[in-house]
Amino acid sequence: MSALKDLQNLIQDKYGLDATALGPHTSMRASGVDSLALVEFLFDVEERYGISIPDNNPDLDTLAELAVIVDKLRAAQTAAAG
Amino acid sequence: MNEVVVSGLGVVSPHGDDAQAMFDAVMRGESAVQAVFPDLACPAAAATVAFDERRWFTKLQLPGVDRVSQLAVAAADLAVRDAGGLTDVDHERVGVYVGCGMGGATALESAYRAGGRVPPLTIPAFMPNAPAAHVAMRLGVKGPVITYSVACASSAVAIAEAAKALRCGEIDVAIAGGSEALIVPGVVLAWQAMMTLASFAPGEAAHACRPFASDRSGFVLGEGAAFLVLETAGRARARGARVYAQLAGWGLSCDATHLTKPDAGGQQRALRAALRQAGLQPADVGYCNAHGTATKIGDVVEADALRGVWGEAAGDLQVSSTKALHGHLLGGAGALEAVITVLALHRRQLPPNANCANPDPAMGLNLVPQAGASAPQLQAAISSSFAFGGTNATLLFARC
Repeated sequence: MSALKDLQNLIQDKYGLDATALGPHTSMRASGVDSLALVEFLFDVEERYGISIPDNNPDLDTLAELAVIVDKLRAAQTAAAG
Repeated sequence: MNEVVVSGLGVVSPHGDDAQAMFDAVMRGESAVQAVFPDLACPAAAATVAFDERRWFTKLQLPGVDRVSQLAVAAADLAVRDAGGLTDVDHERVGVYVGCGMGGATALESAYRAGGRVPPLTIPAFMPNAPAAHVAMRLGVKGPVITYSVACASSAVAIAEAAKALRCGEIDVAIAGGSEALIVPGVVLAWQAMMTLASFAPGEAAHACRPFASDRSGFVLGEGAAFLVLETAGRARARGARVYAQLAGWGLSCDATHLTKPDAGGQQRALRAALRQAGLQPADVGYCNAHGTATKIGDVVEADALRGVWGEAAGDLQVSSTKALHGHLLGGAGALEAVITVLALHRRQLPPNANCANPDPAMGLNLVPQAGASAPQLQAAISSSFAFGGTNATLLFARC
């Protein structure tokens, strides 16, 4: 199951950005999530899922893109555990 | 040389965020000190700020912004509003001068206590110049934005340095003050280890700090931020600004003798320098908001310094340490006490030297009584801040 909905809830709780303010394909930067806010959000996402998001996604700018990364990492996590 | 005047005041203090109401509370002798962190082995007291960061920041603005910076942004904003805004000045000709002793203590404490991964913005949240940077970003200030970390004299030094820049024409407006927010268990434990904090019986925290009293036992920590808007007298006149006072003189000196032990000679050099710059005699100054930390040695040395400079006029100098009521804001102390001194001068009311039912006779000072005092003839007042490290700072304000 995609983490997208969970990520939407997380960013709404952390920064007050609900789905109308920040859709899955809306630019986070354009919505006021600057580089520092993004770093802190990604840290929270890592803590929540127990994953480490590789530092090789400089263009990451939407929740949908982030959800793809998180889903892959979680799938790998599950596979490793299995 | 330009004259420097005070045209705006802003505080986020243990007595609230309205400067006039804060002064009223101090005049009434209301203590903002209370017991904190009951889990600590040794009882602790502090004066903390009831601060709702949502009034000043959206959630999106808060990543990496420690409490010390939040308080600074709010107090600076209030000071600028009080001065009528910054709309009629080139923002490259505005400076921000901030005293901060420690920096983002909450961020550092949280990092230590995280128990695992350290939050990624701990460093920008902790760095001592963060409050100044956040004030500059909030107000769009593009001139000099400088932080002074001189322990307990930090913000008095910042105000003096701002005044110098105005005096020599480097800037037209300064937002000068300080911020400190270190009431976290780790820092309180460190101060307890230093053996300078007041001891108190259960239920007696509010009266724990007793400056210049026979039964004094040290200070209590406080947190908060305070800022003054300083500008040249010419600019203030031209725009019809309400002016609280003139910053007529300031004196900076260093004991150069001991890291933590105060020295009357060093303090006297700061006091005399402030008088000299203002062109005033001791008898011209009617009120001293003392450093007055209520430590056994500190109060004696400060009293010696004052008597040494004021001489025969010492009896006419009324003295109080308001730290008894708002705690010791350390890097923010000089700024909050400067605001109190300016308002004392402006309103000609002297805040009490509270919690001093038994004045130490060895002091030889004319302490402001518990009920406070009116001072209808008051023309000038000083605020002193003496720091660990030996730096002494005295600000001298005069009525316009």
